[in-house]
Amino acid sequence: MDHQLFHIFRNNPLGRETLLQSIYFCSKVGASPVIYIPKHAKFLMYFENDVVQIDLDNSYLTSPETALKHATELVEQGGMKARFLEPKHYTASTLPDIQTNFDFMCCPRSISDLSSKIGLGYIGPRVRRIVESARFPILITSPVYKKWQSIAVFFGGSTNAVNALKLGFRISRVSGLPLDVYTRVEKNSRESYEKVIKDENLEDEMGLYVNKWHFFEKGLFEDNLYEVPHDALVVLGAYGHGLIKTFVFGGKMEKIQSTISNNLLIVGPYYTSTR
Amino acid sequence: MRILKSWRYPASWNIFRLDDRLLLILMAAIVGNCSGLAAVILNRSLVAMFEWLHHLRHYWWVFVLPAVGAALSSLFLDKVVKEGAGHGVPEVIYSVSRYGGLLRFRSSFSRLISSCLTIGSGGSAGPEAPVVISGASIGSNIAKFFSLNDRQRVTLVGCGAAGAISSIFNAPIAGMVFAIEVIIGEWKSVNIVPIAIASVAGTEVSRILQGNQIAFSHRLFSIDLIDIIACLGLAILTAAASILLTRMLRSIHEISGRISAPVWLRAAAGGCAVGIIGLFLPVVLGEGYHSVRIMIEGTFSQGLAIVALAALAKIVATSLTLGSGGSGGIFAPCLVIGSLVGLTYHHSLVLLWPSVSWVNEGCFALLGMAGLISGMLQAPLTGIFLIVEITGGYEVILPLIIVSAISTTLCHYIEPASYYLKDLVELGHLLRPGTDARVLSDLNVPEILERDCITVNQNMLLRDFINIVKKSHRNYFPVENEETGDFMGIIHLDDIRQYLFNPIMYDAVVLGQIMDTKVEVVHPDDDLSEVLRRMDANRLFSMPVVINNRFIGLISKATLLDQYRKELMVQTSH
Repeated sequence: MDHQLFHIFRNNPLGRETLLQSIYFCSKVGASPVIYIPKHAKFLMYFENDVVQIDLDNSYLTSPETALKHATELVEQGGMKARFLEPKHYTASTLPDIQTNFDFMCCPRSISDLSSKIGLGYIGPRVRRIVESARFPILITSPVYKKWQSIAVFFGGSTNAVNALKLGFRISRVSGLPLDVYTRVEKNSRESYEKVIKDENLEDEMGLYVNKWHFFEKGLFEDNLYEVPHDALVVLGAYGHGLIKTFVFGGKMEKIQSTISNNLLIVGPYYTSTR
Repeated sequence: MRILKSWRYPASWNIFRLDDRLLLILMAAIVGNCSGLAAVILNRSLVAMFEWLHHLRHYWWVFVLPAVGAALSSLFLDKVVKEGAGHGVPEVIYSVSRYGGLLRFRSSFSRLISSCLTIGSGGSAGPEAPVVISGASIGSNIAKFFSLNDRQRVTLVGCGAAGAISSIFNAPIAGMVFAIEVIIGEWKSVNIVPIAIASVAGTEVSRILQGNQIAFSHRLFSIDLIDIIACLGLAILTAAASILLTRMLRSIHEISGRISAPVWLRAAAGGCAVGIIGLFLPVVLGEGYHSVRIMIEGTFSQGLAIVALAALAKIVATSLTLGSGGSGGIFAPCLVIGSLVGLTYHHSLVLLWPSVSWVNEGCFALLGMAGLISGMLQAPLTGIFLIVEITGGYEVILPLIIVSAISTTLCHYIEPASYYLKDLVELGHLLRPGTDARVLSDLNVPEILERDCITVNQNMLLRDFINIVKKSHRNYFPVENEETGDFMGIIHLDDIRQYLFNPIMYDAVVLGQIMDTKVEVVHPDDDLSEVLRRMDANRLFSMPVVINNRFIGLISKATLLDQYRKELMVQTSH
């Protein structure tokens, strides 16, 4: 129970939905939520090779007098003990440093812009920077609290996709939920994807945890996504392919995040599995 | 294709694999050029802004100009780039101390624009600190782009600062010394060589684009023994001025912070006050280099009272500009205040001992600058080399050393931390390489956590516990609630010693009766320096780590000190 999910609490109905998602996620993966109630409109996250300034939109600072009570209530309703993060270090007097040694982090689709930009097809630049730099996976929640009954891993053969698959195995093992793997077959054959699994010595885990491996060989990828259950946690890698992989979020990633409204668990290029 | 793929990872190239010094020299040259260019851009922008606003200077309402500049600067920092006000040097030192020199990309340009607005409109501040953070940020982001490690990144941050100072003052040695003495705080060849290269690069950029000029040229000084002895008094006076400036800057910053007005309004109020002072004493406005030149040349025509008043006014104006939220540094104001203090001292000497043949007043102005810089920064070498280079006055080196050394010592005696470091020291954030605090800050509780502990429950009989002890190599046994799993306390072998030789007790005592429930626990987020302090205070050798009432492991002093030694070796191996 020592895995931790970092959550930035927004004291409004949208923030409540997001916290409920975090609590549900924690209950499924055996993590405990670490909640930060911002007192300043910005903070810094120092990663190993990058520093990201998060400029929160004003909704994060609303009604500070009730924020602690609301967050505590929601966490306790979820059967957990609330733990709140108080920044210890400050780069400037109004610019706290938030540690980055968590196992998961929950982000809305946009953290710095107005809440109106929470719709599909938009992931804010700050959230992208966090995904790019973090050693932990990022949970991007759907706008409304939604329980998930299965796990869907998108596997495209890249290193990040392998990491995403391993993370999917881990969550399936801990949560006991069924796992499906989805692969869009484009230039490579099915065999090449299977070879990646073999080369990574993941055949046993595939047999143990995977319910079904779906291959999309025809039609538009966006249309194929209809087959993904609406109540599945989608696990996938970002910044996976090519020479400019650390600059581009990933074509498949963009299509998935703009097409389906499931909860997404995104694995970035610096992700390292903790335990 | 492989070359294309590895171009962002030069450290993996064969040529750099054995020793990264060549890589650092190459990167230092790039960083030095970029930061030098940033300094030239700010310099030219300030000149352009002065010229652009010059025709407004004769209007009666000119005092609002610094207010407008400070407000715009503050709004730009707060709303556009979302950074704090101030000069940013502590932020660079903080980042070097704690986060391996990681700096935001926006810092590479934000302070250039904001300080241009503040100083160009007449605010009493200097462009040097903004170019330092800009250069440092350029170095940090170039290191990030090429995926360099923490140590290499810190060196490039120093290179950026050195290139910027070298460029803006056309003073390569001062840039180098400043970066090592103030920013990095570690004199090692692995840093010195790249920083020297960056200083040369920054200086060359400045010389190519602006010409090779000495900033404050002067006549030849003939210094006698009496002048050197008189320098002792000047050192005391500059130290006093440094302390006054430091305290006034902090006081106005604190007062300004307590006012519940928008940040731009506070900056505007400070700027307006500076503008009003400037109506009567124009020497307080802007960076003040023109006044410094006149004073060093010995042609500043004002008498003792006016010069002394101007020195005080400049201290107040600088405090108002920077303390209320304007953007800029203290280098240039220090030069102006120092030369005014030097002039005041010279006029006083002439008044008291008119028959003595004192050296020209320009010499005292020059020495005053060194005294103030050294006092404020508590960095005597920076003060000495900067003044020697920007004045070309090597003949004053002896009194220069005396003034700088004494001023630094006196200031350190009264204010143990320099203006740049005071906040960091107070918050415990100054972690110089190789120090105890730095080594501990690079370790954390999860790194030294011992998870192979045997947990027991409160209802366990002593007999069963003794059987466990027989098989274990540990002295501490955490006790968990049998039903909830919550951490309840701990049993140390000493706690059962009295029962060990009394077998009657084996089935009569349960662990709940003998466990220690008043246990000092550690949280994974706790700082190890604090954990070690608690261990020492309570004479503990191990402490349980607990999250949400759940035991997750032990940390022991032995493991901590073992890791400490390894970390110290890593930090001091270059």
